[in-house]
Amino acid sequence: MVILREGICPGINEEFIKALQSEDIKTVEDFVSCNPEELAQKCSLSYKALVAVRRVLLAQYTAFPVSGADLYEELLSSTAILSTGNPSLDKLLDSGLYTGEITELAGSPGSGKTQVCFSVAVNISHQLKQTVFYIDTKGGMCANRLLQMLQSKTPNMEEQMEALQKIKVLRVFDVFSLLACLQNLRSNGLQKASVGGGSVKALMVDSVSAVLSSMLGGKQNEGMSLLMQVAGELKMIARDFSIAVLVTNHVTKDGNGHLKAGLGQSWSHVPRTRVLLQRIEGAETSSLRTATLTKSSRQACHLVEGFDLCHWSEERRTSISGKRKLEERSKP
Amino acid sequence: MHRTVPSLPLAPSMKVKLINAGFQVASDLTDMRPLQLCKEAGISQEEAVEVLQVLRDDGQPHQQRAATESLTALDLLHQEQALGSIVTFCSALDDALGGGVPVGKTTEICGSPGVGKTQLCMQLAVDVQIPVCFGGLGGKALYIDTEGSFLVQRVADMAEAAVQHCTLLAEDTEQRQALEELTVEKILSNLFLVRCHDYVELLAEVYLLPDFLSEHPEVRLVVIDSIAFPFRHDFEDLSQRTRLLNGLAQQLIQLATQHSLAVVLTNQMTTRVSNGQSKLVPALGESWGHAATQRLILHWEGLRRLASLYKSPSQMEATIQYQITVQGFRDAPDEPRTTPDSSAVSSPSGNHSKRPRMEDLS
Repeated sequence: MVILREGICPGINEEFIKALQSEDIKTVEDFVSCNPEELAQKCSLSYKALVAVRRVLLAQYTAFPVSGADLYEELLSSTAILSTGNPSLDKLLDSGLYTGEITELAGSPGSGKTQVCFSVAVNISHQLKQTVFYIDTKGGMCANRLLQMLQSKTPNMEEQMEALQKIKVLRVFDVFSLLACLQNLRSNGLQKASVGGGSVKALMVDSVSAVLSSMLGGKQNEGMSLLMQVAGELKMIARDFSIAVLVTNHVTKDGNGHLKAGLGQSWSHVPRTRVLLQRIEGAETSSLRTATLTKSSRQACHLVEGFDLCHWSEERRTSISGKRKLEERSKP
Repeated sequence: MHRTVPSLPLAPSMKVKLINAGFQVASDLTDMRPLQLCKEAGISQEEAVEVLQVLRDDGQPHQQRAATESLTALDLLHQEQALGSIVTFCSALDDALGGGVPVGKTTEICGSPGVGKTQLCMQLAVDVQIPVCFGGLGGKALYIDTEGSFLVQRVADMAEAAVQHCTLLAEDTEQRQALEELTVEKILSNLFLVRCHDYVELLAEVYLLPDFLSEHPEVRLVVIDSIAFPFRHDFEDLSQRTRLLNGLAQQLIQLATQHSLAVVLTNQMTTRVSNGQSKLVPALGESWGHAATQRLILHWEGLRRLASLYKSPSQMEATIQYQITVQGFRDAPDEPRTTPDSSAVSSPSGNHSKRPRMEDLS
């Protein structure tokens, strides 16, 4: 419902608006649904001016349908698949993170969500040489750890520094700052970053539940609105700039004691793909994890893959890829 | 500015009135005078003034900088290296934590009663004051006590042991000079103590912390011992408790990052029964586990005290042994010490008592 104000279109000034208001026309919708001839007679405004303003407003505020074939062509040319660096996780995600979509990682504390985000960021900045934006809401961003991961990939210091410069970190701790940050990124932040060379291909938010969970529930009536605003901003950023968005979420227990991702039913529709990370029972102190696909539009759900978070043993072996597959170790 | 009106930090009823009056974006509002806004949106004059004030605060340089300017990971690396960490005087624990309790992050210490959480907190409150030339931070500490377990005499003993230890280490003139100023009285006077009796006082104290920290910029450590106690008894509405705790955790990590300090929280343990077996897990629920950046669990194994690093963004999980002595929190006696400048001094009889007993002295 856009209200007619001075300046939303050239040709609308205060007298124009006053004349329209006398006929009880306050919004753009009221204006375009009226007949300009009748309006010209009743308000004593020039017919030409009315028609010109009507044309501009229609062009500005209507939605134009796109044919399915054009949409398909556009998607084919603009979508990219970013590998996460871990073959098991790639298999689970149908070869990686898709740009234009939101992917969610959920898991209990210590299950490795932040580590997976780090590994993906390092892979994108070092292997694929693209810029990554990392929004940290919990203080878990540790540049030392990123450096450690890069050091295991390449001994060349210049390459490490270059990769570190491609990861941009933003630290916000409450939902209003997060919204300000996302809106700013959408309006000029992302364009500025891609001007400097190296396009932005990924945005990570770790974690989105830390800022939203204190606003939901109880007598608060704003929580859902803020959750949907965050979801809207993330989706618009993903779609308009062809970026892969990765968010992390906490877990809660449902009635039967099974783990499920937090933030409720409304948030569950927002990400396109959802993965649940868990420690392996019985091997609680090891670095092995399982990832379960809980929502996907491309693969059958409840696929499980195991992988190893541990990078340190890889350094001693001087292997190039980041993680070993669980299956390899259990081969006889 | 590109902020939409629904995303502004205003009361929901106010936002509804503004949106109904046709304001979609914050930039529509910035040029309005209070009287104009009052008439158009149908709100009272005080509310109009408040709305414009919020918009002006939002457009402040430091707020904008936080939300818009990003650091590259390289800049963050330099910052982290400059921040340092607080040693615990237990070299095994320091190694496991990557140098000590990190500054700029929140650390949670969970443990059963009597395992040494308050001892570790008091030790950290002393250790943060070690001068920079000895490898410490030379900062002050704020201790928020909710259980009433803070004992000044114990801190004085720990402070004296720390001063003695630094005296043994002093080599050059700069260190000797710093040592002259380092006395037990000075250490105690740099420790600010707050006593909170229930959760409302605790929330109020955390709310007032930004002002306190701006007045005392040398504070490098905030300890809340314990955060579980006021929230565990007399709380009927568990979902409200979870919300309050999450909000508190976000405020604390914001303080830790903005003022470059280490925040240490103590938590209690509770029993979880599953599949006919019972297990000790940290209290305050599943979602509280996500709140702290690092989690350290202290537990008993027979007569030994062990510390496990359970969750950390940069360190690997590890379990080490420690002990509590007259001097404070130290390494366990049978741990082989490889580094020559290790700081542990074990008590002569190797027992776990804190005061020297009559039998030992005789």
